[in-house]
Amino acid sequence: MKDRFSILDGNNFLVSDDRGNIQPSYDFPTGLFSFDTRFLSTWILTLDGQPLHALSIDDSLSYKTRFFLVPGEPTHYLDSKVSVIRSRAIGGSLDEELTLLNHADQETEFRLRMEIGSDFADLLEIKNQREKGGHTTPTVEPNALRLTYRRQAFHRETVVTSSTPAEIDENGMTFRVRVGPHGEWTTRLNVDTVIYGARGEDVRAILPLGGRRTAADIAAEQTELIGHAPKLGCDCEPLAGAYRRSLNDLAALRYESIALGVRLLAAGLPWFMTLFGRDSIFTSLQVLPFLPEMVKPTIVMLAGLQGSRVDDFRDEEPGKILHELRYGESAGFEEQPHSPYYGAADTTPLFVILLDEYERWTGDAELVRRLEHETRAALTWLDTYGDLLGTGYVWYMSRNPETGLPNQCWKDSPDAISYADGRTPEFPRATCELQGYAYDAKLRGARMARIHWNDPAYADRLEREAAALKERFNRDFWIPDREYYALALDPRGRQVDALTSNIGHLLWSGIVEESRAPAVAAHLLGPRLFSGWGVRTLADDQGRYNPVGYHVGTVWPFDNSIIAWGLWRYGFRHEAGRICDALLSASHYFDGRLPEVFAGYARSLTDYPVEYPTACSPQAWSAGTPLLLLRVILGLEPQGDHLIIDPAVPPGMGRVELLDIPGRWGRVDALGRSREPHEEQPSPPALTLPGG
Amino acid sequence: MHVSEAIQQFFASLPARAASVLSSPIGGTLKIDLADGNRTEHWYVTLAPGSAQVSRDEQRQADGVLTLSTELFEKLVTGREAGMAAVLRNEATFSGHVVLFLAFRRFLPPRPDVRDPRNAARDHVRRLA
Repeated sequence: MKDRFSILDGNNFLVSDDRGNIQPSYDFPTGLFSFDTRFLSTWILTLDGQPLHALSIDDSLSYKTRFFLVPGEPTHYLDSKVSVIRSRAIGGSLDEELTLLNHADQETEFRLRMEIGSDFADLLEIKNQREKGGHTTPTVEPNALRLTYRRQAFHRETVVTSSTPAEIDENGMTFRVRVGPHGEWTTRLNVDTVIYGARGEDVRAILPLGGRRTAADIAAEQTELIGHAPKLGCDCEPLAGAYRRSLNDLAALRYESIALGVRLLAAGLPWFMTLFGRDSIFTSLQVLPFLPEMVKPTIVMLAGLQGSRVDDFRDEEPGKILHELRYGESAGFEEQPHSPYYGAADTTPLFVILLDEYERWTGDAELVRRLEHETRAALTWLDTYGDLLGTGYVWYMSRNPETGLPNQCWKDSPDAISYADGRTPEFPRATCELQGYAYDAKLRGARMARIHWNDPAYADRLEREAAALKERFNRDFWIPDREYYALALDPRGRQVDALTSNIGHLLWSGIVEESRAPAVAAHLLGPRLFSGWGVRTLADDQGRYNPVGYHVGTVWPFDNSIIAWGLWRYGFRHEAGRICDALLSASHYFDGRLPEVFAGYARSLTDYPVEYPTACSPQAWSAGTPLLLLRVILGLEPQGDHLIIDPAVPPGMGRVELLDIPGRWGRVDALGRSREPHEEQPSPPALTLPGG
Repeated sequence: MHVSEAIQQFFASLPARAASVLSSPIGGTLKIDLADGNRTEHWYVTLAPGSAQVSRDEQRQADGVLTLSTELFEKLVTGREAGMAAVLRNEATFSGHVVLFLAFRRFLPPRPDVRDPRNAARDHVRRLA
């Protein structure tokens, strides 16, 4: 059985143990969190001074859990005369219903106790613990326990109330109850989290937000969102299960931004329940064919928070798209730079790519016109602040050595960028995928300039720059004797020669010379990179390879979805299909929910995908992965007002049909079927007509 | 007591800077309440594409209100503090249409001693050699 249970509604979430308890923890974010603050760090239920343990747990819904508990330790012989049901749901606040069932045939007195406390830790302090700058004061009120945290004007409160009378002290609530023979008793605890803002009111009350939602509201909203998504019919259970689970998780990961009053996607439970530029852009790219309505708020928000000045602490520059926005104490008091932090060199070109892709699917030209200024600023960043060394490439080097990120690409752990022999290069670094994104962004920027901004001269210029970049890149990054692209250039312009999954992103961007694509595809599916469950981040014969190293040997589902897209783009349908098949098979071992990352062990060694120890789950871009794989399998590509459907269903997957795919064509259906060995070549691509 | 020269200059500069700072579609009036002891001064900035008008007219309707001390505001307009962090620690508060605050934020200058990151990076590389 799992040892941790989570419920979430956007960036409100609760992580407890299998008894429903929250034990104070300084190394893992257990507790009740909202907007990066822990509002409950102790929440422990006892009966007559005894701990309880779980007989069963119902956690089938993302926002609700029910624990069936009896007293004592699980090793004891069990003949309990009493049981307790903890039923909790999270929305704007946390509701927990405690029901005590007396199984004896006489009236019995019980003492139920909830230990309650909060350290008001900032989520980021849980990784790097530090002394709190403020003070927590508990206040016992007639019907409530109020925990107040203050540091100067920074003010958070946790207010716990009970629907039935309780003996309340500074550390919790005690219920002394008499329950009749075979009778039951219930109380309802409510935990309200308050973030004080203007006029001493909760910030969520003074901003144009949708307000606090009940579990029923969440259920209705999730059902509506999923109801809008295309319907999948298929013979392949891993695919059907993963699709269903992904839609549920994506719906649950949406949160209400306190800045725009729109619903954005949080990146991953429990560490990344906030807006990340990179994660939200990749997730948006993955979900566009399915849930386009989730994408626009993300684009608008990223544009609204675009960098406007040079700020070394935040690694901010004009035109740059953010890395991460946090709402907690450490961001406010500038102990961490996330207000917002801009330490990412890929988000800016990816923003341009997403806007173009969004318009190609939805036909929302108005948004492209509205964001012309921001998009031009992003494109300008590529050739100005992005090109730190003036060599025609995008480079990165943090100007915040204490709390900034050394690696400002998706592989952002400290040892992620290395030479084949394991040495790490100096800064600045120009990783290869950044150049691919810049190339694609220029071409897409040109398309938008020509069609929507009425600026053909600018479009021509961008296309010329893109062509020159492609030529330069293929000269400087290609390693002729090994037939792959270097991971990066070091500041002296030398190749950082590790073999990595990054070369798959190059296919997606289109920067790979056609003649070199077969060699790149062969590496991606070769034994050094391909584990059988997916493409490893780093090839298994490289100096820093570690099958459980975060970015140096593990398999990332999101990474693989982009690689599959890239293989498809260059016509490697069979190879793309192998990746789709491998990941969908892996998802089966996680009940359809692909984790953030899993280990890079060879499939033949482990027989099942080994989860990375502290992987986030659900994780937005992992939840988005099955959706993008489905797009790759069905070969869905907008062309003008039509949707091209060119299926290549991997062998053994059988029938795959996706009904009501939304877009500028209205809604269309796509059908595909895997080819059995005796069959001939598949039919040529079909062009569907609107409504067809 | 009157607001400092830095604040006066900042407001005076907004109309001319708006053309380059505010290109995207936006519209609305931001009220800035500057608290100084018991006194509060109100400034109104009406934002539109390419335009920012500053007024002290008390009768205006505001679509968003930014409240902070005169001292903190002076640090914001001289680049010595950052607006979003101040709001996150509740030293400055905001209510109403946050888009206006995000747009207004673009007028806030960098720190006075800031270097171009490209020069810093190129110097760094020269030292490596």
